[in-house]
Amino acid sequence: MGRWRERSCSSAPPVWQLGPLAFLNPWLLLGLFSLPVIWWLLRVTPPAPRRITLPSIRLLFGLPQTEETPAKTPLWLLLLRLLLAALAILALAHPLWNPIGREAGEAPLLVVVDDGWAAASRWAERQQTLAEIGDRAVRERRPLLLLATAPPLADGPVTATRLLTPSEGRAQLLALQPKPWPSDRRAAAAALAAVRLEDRVQVLWLADGLDDGHAAGLAAELANFGPITLFEDGGGRRPLAVLPPAELSGGTGLRVAVLRAGALSGERWLRLSADGGRLLARAPVAWEPGAARAEAVLDLPDDLRNEAVRLELEGEASAGAVVLLDERWRRRPVGVLSGAGIEERAQPLLSHAHYLLRALEPFSQVHQDELAALLARPLAMLVLADVGQLPPAERQRLTAWIEAGGVLVRFAGPKLAQNADELVPVALRSGGRALGGAMSWTTPARIASFAEEGPFAGLRPPDDVTVSSQVLAEPSLELDGKTWARLADGTPLVTGERRGRGWLVLFHITANTTWSNLALSGSFVEMLRRLVALGQGVSDGEAGRLLPPLLSLDGFGRLDRPLPAALPIASDKLLGTPAGPRTPPGFYGTQEARRALNLTTAVTGLAPLPRFDQPIAWATYAERGERDLKPWLLTVAIVLALLDLLAVLGLRGVLPLPAPRPAGAALALCLLAMPDRAAAQSRPTQGADAFALQATLETRLAYVQTGEAEVDEMSRAGLFGLGEMLRRRTSAELADPMGVDVERDDLVFFPLLYWPVVAAQRALSDAAIGRLGAYMRTGGTIVFDTRDANTVAPGLGWELGRGGVNAEKLRQILRRLDIPPLVPVPQDHILTKAFYLMQDFPGRHVGGRVWVEIRPGGVNDGVSAVVIGANDWAAAWATDAEGRPLAAVVPGGQRQREQAYRFGINLVMYTLTGNYKADQVHVPAILERLGQ
Amino acid sequence: MATLATPADPRLRQRAEGLAAGLPPLLVAADRIAATVTQGVHGRRRTGVGESFWQFRRYHSGDPAQIIDWRQSAKSQKLFVRENEWDAAESVWLWHDASASMRFRSTAAESQKHERAALLLLALASLLIRAGERVGRLGEDRRPGSGRVALNRIAAALQASLVERLSAPSLPPAQVLPRHAQVVLASDFLAPWAEVEASIARLAAQGVHGHLLQVLDPIEVDLPFRGRARFEGVEGEGVLTVGRIEGLRQAYLDRLAALRDSLTGLCRRIGWTCTFHRTDRPPQLALLSLYGALAREIV
Repeated sequence: MGRWRERSCSSAPPVWQLGPLAFLNPWLLLGLFSLPVIWWLLRVTPPAPRRITLPSIRLLFGLPQTEETPAKTPLWLLLLRLLLAALAILALAHPLWNPIGREAGEAPLLVVVDDGWAAASRWAERQQTLAEIGDRAVRERRPLLLLATAPPLADGPVTATRLLTPSEGRAQLLALQPKPWPSDRRAAAAALAAVRLEDRVQVLWLADGLDDGHAAGLAAELANFGPITLFEDGGGRRPLAVLPPAELSGGTGLRVAVLRAGALSGERWLRLSADGGRLLARAPVAWEPGAARAEAVLDLPDDLRNEAVRLELEGEASAGAVVLLDERWRRRPVGVLSGAGIEERAQPLLSHAHYLLRALEPFSQVHQDELAALLARPLAMLVLADVGQLPPAERQRLTAWIEAGGVLVRFAGPKLAQNADELVPVALRSGGRALGGAMSWTTPARIASFAEEGPFAGLRPPDDVTVSSQVLAEPSLELDGKTWARLADGTPLVTGERRGRGWLVLFHITANTTWSNLALSGSFVEMLRRLVALGQGVSDGEAGRLLPPLLSLDGFGRLDRPLPAALPIASDKLLGTPAGPRTPPGFYGTQEARRALNLTTAVTGLAPLPRFDQPIAWATYAERGERDLKPWLLTVAIVLALLDLLAVLGLRGVLPLPAPRPAGAALALCLLAMPDRAAAQSRPTQGADAFALQATLETRLAYVQTGEAEVDEMSRAGLFGLGEMLRRRTSAELADPMGVDVERDDLVFFPLLYWPVVAAQRALSDAAIGRLGAYMRTGGTIVFDTRDANTVAPGLGWELGRGGVNAEKLRQILRRLDIPPLVPVPQDHILTKAFYLMQDFPGRHVGGRVWVEIRPGGVNDGVSAVVIGANDWAAAWATDAEGRPLAAVVPGGQRQREQAYRFGINLVMYTLTGNYKADQVHVPAILERLGQ
Repeated sequence: MATLATPADPRLRQRAEGLAAGLPPLLVAADRIAATVTQGVHGRRRTGVGESFWQFRRYHSGDPAQIIDWRQSAKSQKLFVRENEWDAAESVWLWHDASASMRFRSTAAESQKHERAALLLLALASLLIRAGERVGRLGEDRRPGSGRVALNRIAAALQASLVERLSAPSLPPAQVLPRHAQVVLASDFLAPWAEVEASIARLAAQGVHGHLLQVLDPIEVDLPFRGRARFEGVEGEGVLTVGRIEGLRQAYLDRLAALRDSLTGLCRRIGWTCTFHRTDRPPQLALLSLYGALAREIV
């Protein structure tokens, strides 16, 4: 597996490489053979004895020692130490991950960098490699030569630098940027031939992974200088190229070919965007297995396609993965010239130009101007509506334009009917022909068919189009071949003729509705669209016009200002021009009429680098570059050594590790890993006892946990606040309240149970009902609080029978409990005088009536087992630890909160002391205080 | 007890208070025992008037003339001799081993052996003094004392011995004791047996009765170790590396048992009693058995 690297210097040690792993000091790996020895030594050497101080040591003296050390080093400790030793040995062997030409020595470096477009998409990795090479050159004081194989930006020849000092070389390496044109390896090989070096050097070739046909030659040239290390993108990461799509092919989709060199990893997407980067369409690219070329179809409406300026592969930031689209792919420029006079301007809705513009605009760029001005700009089609005679000079220019690929479409009309020039496909009879009308017996004719050969092939003749007038062609032998559409009586409606590379088309009717209503139909639009597509594309008025560079692509496929060396290109030569420093890919021309020069126009296929004859060490650009594993291994070894120390301390009893056996250790680890379960298992029995102890060691109030965290917290804070108030004002010193679960906890410990009723109250189980009943029978008091006194209209007052969801839930609970009859708190009830004298019982809300048992039984010292209200008392009582209230009272005021506290104190006093206040003993004093 | 500590030394006082805080339950427990046990034993002794006076007896020829009580003799025709009680009364002399081997505590034990021994002796002294006995510290006091003052003095001395890091002898000192005195020796008796035996025999030769309390740490009793260990003594006995403690344990336990047999055998020969205590057990047990043994003697 491993292979010995070529030695760059006779004194340099060999480097042993195992895949991406290399060892700088491989002979130290021989130390691994010592592991069995270490194993044996560790096994025979007992662990250090633990030291035990024993006052009765005299009793031990002189005892026969039957066996010495079957005490062995435990297996796990043995393995730990072996691992430690192995790691230390590996670390000393100095392993490197993804090594980069690590050969030591003083030889200069010759760095050959393919900095064409193909290198751009993985430039970050190259740059890291370049930085590492530069750093190493500086560190090892090795001078270096740099040869960039792509022609430089300033359009000079490809040359190698002189021998640079390490720091200079590092700066130049870091300054390299990919170019938007291909590498020229032949020029590079030629440049190398001019380099003369005394010593052998070490060659580092940062290749772009593609073969341009001259890679082998360059490798042969490089081999003269010294051993070569070639860097390449890993499998599946070679560059891709997007070829320009066919210009305005049939159908609506753009068919785009994408080339690859070798298998790819991952999925690629093509992206079509408009000016400003707006996404227009996106399509996945799928290669057949083994195929180098894949086609993707970008399906999008015409008008959207006309906005497209840029086609690129997502995730491939290189000039080769970008295709710029210009007007050849966009909607075509069409010129419209109407021969009608002043009357047309007076009635624009009837004008020829109006119908033409409306029909052409959706899919083409329409210019309406004088003929001379129209011919000055590139046009794909020119429409002349009812233009009779053209001046000879312009006719000549038009003819030339047509010959160059233009499509001239003429529409008939009164003028053309009167005197047509020869710029028509067929000879016309002078004068028109009227069909139908008041003076005619014939009826307007319909369109019969479209010719199978012509551009209108496949169009369906419309039923509702009639033609009432037309110009007629002179019968001739060619007439039938030139007729693209004919009327029901066989007379031609549209005739066309090829002239040079262009076309000459004549509609025998007007472009407006005076002769026919064709201009109102969809067929008109469709026919015009076919005609626009007929042409070769943009046809320039004058060939050979110079187009100045407008925007240039850089190596990463970004559009920017034109490169300094860029020169204008003649418009007719644009297509065949290869990308180079003088002619960088990008846009040329003016902002209004820009033409694209694409890098990949010249690309026909991509091929991976061949295997060379010369001995070459192959390396890959790594994502994270070279990594020295020595510190990591040493760190792990030190950690293991610390673990070993701990283990030894544990074995000797210094640390409290009672049973340092592997099974014990493993068990301890397992226990550590699942403390929850162990804790959970011991909880139930302890929990009940703890709960009982907590509830009984001090007097506490309790609240029922509803399961709604906010309500529970408010209940807790309320009883806490009430407890503080009781502590301050009375001799009742209550501990913090406890939350209870009526389904689970024992309730008998609490004098008072505050139960906020929530809408989500679940039905109680039979056990809970029994427990609650027992609680009430044995002297407990439950305060139900539906907390919804505010939901009832003011003035009505909250009643037990009314109320919202909470009251309904309360009724459900009470229905199953054994509740004696209830009454609103009578005026002389003990609740009104247990501590404070009061008659109404506000909480957070006011107005809710409070209900108690009608005739408290004797068993509970006359304390009602149930108190029901709706005033949300807990919220009024609730305070935080500092005694600040947590909830505002409604309608508000300190008085209301004070009254709420007073009610709470009365309530607690009532439940704690029973009915002694009901004694007549206190009546005189109370009467006296009442002032009666 | 704490009241006797020198106020100038806050550290000592602190320790004293700590000790005092630990002691009351013991004293209370001792009080409970005293209430049930001592009434029958010592009640008749309280009929005398003074502390020192015991009885007058007729003058016999041979008695020195100095001891004739002339006032009593003047009341009748006979000559009477006054015999003081303290000469004849029983006194209990306490000693505990404060050597380095006693200042040892393993993780399994609640306190140092030496601390436990001091505690037990102090509790015993408290009990004895409540019962009206005289108590002194062997090797320290010339005369035994009685009453709360003596108890306080003993407590302070014991407490001081806890605090001080003295290299005390591990054998009871030789002291001339009154006849019929009782000796309570608390130690681990781990010194070489011949020396132990000699020192005890020396005391026994004076005709005193005695009680031995052997206080051992649990690891000394059980030797609960496995594997390889290097044992170190605390009094410079040397070190011993043992390859496999499990293999030695039975022999060690046999030797310990033999030591105890020697102790009990010695005690049986000279009429003393012997009690064993380990520091991971509550001290009350040892105190009760010690007190029981002592009470039998005092009757």
